[in-house]
Amino acid sequence: MTPADSTQREAITETLNPLGLDGIEFIEYATARPQALGQVLEMMGFKPVARHRSREVLLYRQGGINVIVNAHLPSAVGDAPDKPWLAAIALRVRDASAAYRRALERGAWAVPARVEVMELNIPAIHGVGASRIYFVDRYDQFSIYDVDFVPIPGVDPHPPAVAGLHFFGVVQYIGNERTADWTEFYRELLGFVELPAQQRFGILPKGRILQSPCPAATRFYIQLIEPEAGLLDVEDDEQLQRVGLGTGDVLGTVADLSRRGVEFVQSKAVQTEDRGALTRTWLGSVSFELVHDRRA
Amino acid sequence: MDYRANIRDFGMDTISLAGPLEAKLKAVREAGFSQIMLSARDVVGHPDGLDAAVAAVRASGLRVTGFQVLRDFEGLSGHLHDYKVDIAKSMLEMCSALGAKVLLVCSSTSVHATQEPQALARDLRKLAVLAIPMGIKVAYEGLSWGRHVNEFPQAWDIICRADMPNLGLGLDSFHMFATQTALDELDMLDPDKIFLVQLADFMWTEIKSVEERITTARHFRVFPGEGVHSADLAALVAKLHALGYRGDYSFEVFNDDYQQIPLPTVAARGWRSALWLAEDVLRRSVPLPNQMRLRR
Repeated sequence: MTPADSTQREAITETLNPLGLDGIEFIEYATARPQALGQVLEMMGFKPVARHRSREVLLYRQGGINVIVNAHLPSAVGDAPDKPWLAAIALRVRDASAAYRRALERGAWAVPARVEVMELNIPAIHGVGASRIYFVDRYDQFSIYDVDFVPIPGVDPHPPAVAGLHFFGVVQYIGNERTADWTEFYRELLGFVELPAQQRFGILPKGRILQSPCPAATRFYIQLIEPEAGLLDVEDDEQLQRVGLGTGDVLGTVADLSRRGVEFVQSKAVQTEDRGALTRTWLGSVSFELVHDRRA
Repeated sequence: MDYRANIRDFGMDTISLAGPLEAKLKAVREAGFSQIMLSARDVVGHPDGLDAAVAAVRASGLRVTGFQVLRDFEGLSGHLHDYKVDIAKSMLEMCSALGAKVLLVCSSTSVHATQEPQALARDLRKLAVLAIPMGIKVAYEGLSWGRHVNEFPQAWDIICRADMPNLGLGLDSFHMFATQTALDELDMLDPDKIFLVQLADFMWTEIKSVEERITTARHFRVFPGEGVHSADLAALVAKLHALGYRGDYSFEVFNDDYQQIPLPTVAARGWRSALWLAEDVLRRSVPLPNQMRLRR
């Protein structure tokens, strides 16, 4: 057998994880009401641990989950600027510069960097709606927060997670008949693969689930959800809708969070179960989904 | 809404009309059409700038059939490729601002472009990825004087190689007839991947040279039913309908005479053409008042 035959037969064209994707470094909310959002995050178990050197930006953390609250807003974002929105996902990659260049070569839109002196230039591409996708490397040698953030004095910089919570994924709302488009977007630029329709997590099984090519320990998912089927076209708004957090024990986590004041949706369609739970929506837009996911 | 006839999927193209954008929009609207195909020239050349052009289009109530035209995009390398990607991004941004869901791309005429199908497919794939976040479909059309791709079966081959959900075919009857491409070739197309059909008739029975083809295409087209290829146009539209095509038909009529007669007169000619196709060729009945259109 010639070498050409063997490659054709198995269609080995590139590695399965072309960017060396290794989980989510942080997610970022943009809001004009950072304190109100901070209260929600603290109820969910996050602690503010650091403050940005030059902008009105706070870093919240629990366990391995970093959440950035950005109140340094560009003027006039959206129709309802008082509602917090998911403005970015930062992905851990092997080589941020290479990942960025590869994405641009394949048709990503670059986000122009706006960096102050001595701050890190974190490369970013445009994601859904007005959101961004950042590429972060060197997360294992030093933290990007060491450069751009100042620790809040007297606070544990590494607060433990409530009931072992970790990033599980992000839910993205998309327009009508847009599932195939966004599946290709994440496949082409980041190496995501689509899960078979019967493979579902949590209690909200709608739409299509894309799996990141990360190793099992840092794997996360993007769930694409089209509008409810209706008679007439609805506005095709597209955005990152909510964050999914994984836990090995959903009911235990729900109990822990309930004691902290978190309320969960109990309706005919959505109920807390072993498989998952959904918090109520705060500030008109912020909710979290819990998903059963045992992770070492 | 006009209920005189069921021609909602037929539209005019601004290139058939003289004068400022607002006058074109008004003439098309008042003739009874509900959609219009726009050219970059319409909006870029607006005396009050792009924003004013976008506002005029939005205020007209007309749906934008598509936005044209990106030329000589695929098959370039190095700095030429980078340059064309920048041009494509500008086109996509205008397309998005106008609320157009289709960007028309004509096959390259450039002597600097390769004919390597994989390279052409790779470039169109990149263009499609760029278009995804904006919800834009890319319609690739085989220009009859394209250098390597000059008939729709070749364009279709490249589209299949590129394999992107938002990359499909733009069909122009003029180019099909000029190259005398067999109608049977349409049988191999997936009707859901035909993103736009442009129709035009012309007065000559035969076009002998490429030069004559270009001159005819740019100056002497007429509305369907006005030329000598009416029977072929009727057969084409009936064939597309039988295949399952339910998208838009746009009258791509470049004509120097129409540039010097009053806009309502030209639009009335377009209207007659739409009536002929809808009622005599496709044998449609008039829709019921307040009919709602189910989403596919």
